Amino acid sequence: MDFLSNLSLGFSIAFTPFNLMMAVAGVTVGILIGALPGVGPPSGVAMLLPLTFGMDPTSGIIMLAALYAGTMYGGTITAVLINTPGESASVVTCLDGYQMALQGRAGPALGIAAIGSFIAGTIGVVLLMLVSPLLARWALSFGPPETFALMLLGLTTCTLLAGDDPLKGYISMVAGLMLAMVGYDIISGDARYGFGIVEMMDGVDFLPVAIGLFGLGEVLAGAEQARSTQVAKTRLRLRDVLPGMPDWVRSRWAIARGTVMGFAVGVLPGAGPTVAAFLAYTVEKRVSKHPEQFGKGAIEGVAGPESANNAAATAAMVPMLTLGIPGSATTAIMLGGLMMWGLRPGPMLFEKNPEFVWGLIASQYIANVLLLILSTLFIPLFVRAVRIPYSILMPLIVVFCITGAYSLKNNVWDVGQMLVFGVIGYFMKKLGYSPAALVLALVLGPLAERALRQSLIISDAGVGIFFMRPISGVLMALALLAVAVPVARAFLKK
Amino acid sequence: MRSADRVTAVLLLALAVAFSAGALKYYSWWGSGGPGSAFLPFWLGLVMVLLALMMLVKSLRNPWPGDAWLPRGEGLRDMLVVLGVTVAFVALLKVVGMILGTALYLLALIRYLGRHPWWLAAAIAFAAAGFNWLVFVHWLRVPFPEGMLWTF
Repeated sequence: MDFLSNLSLGFSIAFTPFNLMMAVAGVTVGILIGALPGVGPPSGVAMLLPLTFGMDPTSGIIMLAALYAGTMYGGTITAVLINTPGESASVVTCLDGYQMALQGRAGPALGIAAIGSFIAGTIGVVLLMLVSPLLARWALSFGPPETFALMLLGLTTCTLLAGDDPLKGYISMVAGLMLAMVGYDIISGDARYGFGIVEMMDGVDFLPVAIGLFGLGEVLAGAEQARSTQVAKTRLRLRDVLPGMPDWVRSRWAIARGTVMGFAVGVLPGAGPTVAAFLAYTVEKRVSKHPEQFGKGAIEGVAGPESANNAAATAAMVPMLTLGIPGSATTAIMLGGLMMWGLRPGPMLFEKNPEFVWGLIASQYIANVLLLILSTLFIPLFVRAVRIPYSILMPLIVVFCITGAYSLKNNVWDVGQMLVFGVIGYFMKKLGYSPAALVLALVLGPLAERALRQSLIISDAGVGIFFMRPISGVLMALALLAVAVPVARAFLKK
Repeated sequence: MRSADRVTAVLLLALAVAFSAGALKYYSWWGSGGPGSAFLPFWLGLVMVLLALMMLVKSLRNPWPGDAWLPRGEGLRDMLVVLGVTVAFVALLKVVGMILGTALYLLALIRYLGRHPWWLAAAIAFAAAGFNWLVFVHWLRVPFPEGMLWTF
């Protein structure tokens, strides 16, 4: 009963006109941002986070969560129409989605992605709602060693997926942790690595770093091809988007499998929508009766991964809300937002801020319905937006990066910091490092350090504390396994 | 790519050594019953030293010259122009002001990158500057740098 009253509390908050407006705005802007090649969910959330500072935290998270859901679908539009993933979770959608578009079936590809996303997203919220309170209650018994072990697990698993070279993933992650050390140390009061500069003593804020790495860095990389990017002309009307009966019959199990796998992958700290989409594609190809059609326009190859990435995006909220540990770069930025709004992420959130948590959960149901409506009714509009030349979009994105970085604390220092990380982000992208791992580590760094030091105080400097307690022991073992697997794989290759 | 990795590895190695050494020199290793402010930075620096060494060895062992990773010609020039104009914008932020600066920045880059007609570039530039003013200055009350040329 408790449950229903919480949910109705959530809906009463989500249905206020302002919050509803924020959800609509979030989904719409999200689809647009997702549709722009190069600008993905993390940069979208980072650039819009400053807009929420004046708001109530609940309205803020409602907008950002709706935005996240929107970007997941927006990335599909560019994947299908121009064979360029709008964000990394749509990479596999290009394989069959673009082939379908070449065969004149862009409509059903986008349509099945929208329906799959809706189903997966909605089931994802139901699961989120059921799992989170239980997990939060369990996590209440966590002490500093468990918290530290969990964060270590999140950090090591996120480097597992950082592209082809795990070594560069680890370097990015450790660099993020090192950056997190800059500034006042809460326990001793030392101003570390400040070099006497007042702004440095406050530490390196994650927001200018994230905006620089994901926003400006991507723009600089895109500037190289600004003149050569051409967008295919496509016309799409509402009735083209609705998939026919045969498409639906072929896709329904792909959607179901994608939803389940997506959620399971998304809940793990570190593993996010991109992994979920890849996994779903592989599974669909394996269970299919006609695997030879994959890569040549099989609709299951769109339905499965698209459902999986939406389910995973919803599931990534579970560790963020219950444990205070983000499951992806995007949720890492949201977690940073939570702290800026003055909330303390972690298991207490459900007890201390029920209106925040349940307002968010309820608004996720609404966001999914909005996503379905907007993505089918207004598809011609979004298709037109994809066609805006890169030469106009890029300068606009940079302006957003600059205003976003400035309005964090109203100073130019942060803008400069954003610029520096923009250049670093450009090189990281070019050389195969992982900006996502760096941002995740930067957000988790101070929390992990506190948990580590508290644990060592409890144990009187014995490292055994992490391994002797059952939960933390299992988590530490998993974290070490996550380090060992890529190392072993690299050795076996030789 | 291989030589880029080598250079990065050496840079990271130097940085990491300085990081760990700095921690030991300036901050406390142990304090008030637990690890002090030098504890974690020291270990992080040490891990980075290991990682950088691994990358150095890997890049030295690999005989493959690797693909070119820096753009050339027009691509490189466009990237540098975007970066240069952006740096100039930020450097002049306090002189030109955020709103006017935004308009000028957009006008310059849209014209340079896209060869769009003047009227279109100007329309987009001023619309975006107006939007910024409405949302950030008027609605969110962010005190943007006003500049010396025009106040609002």
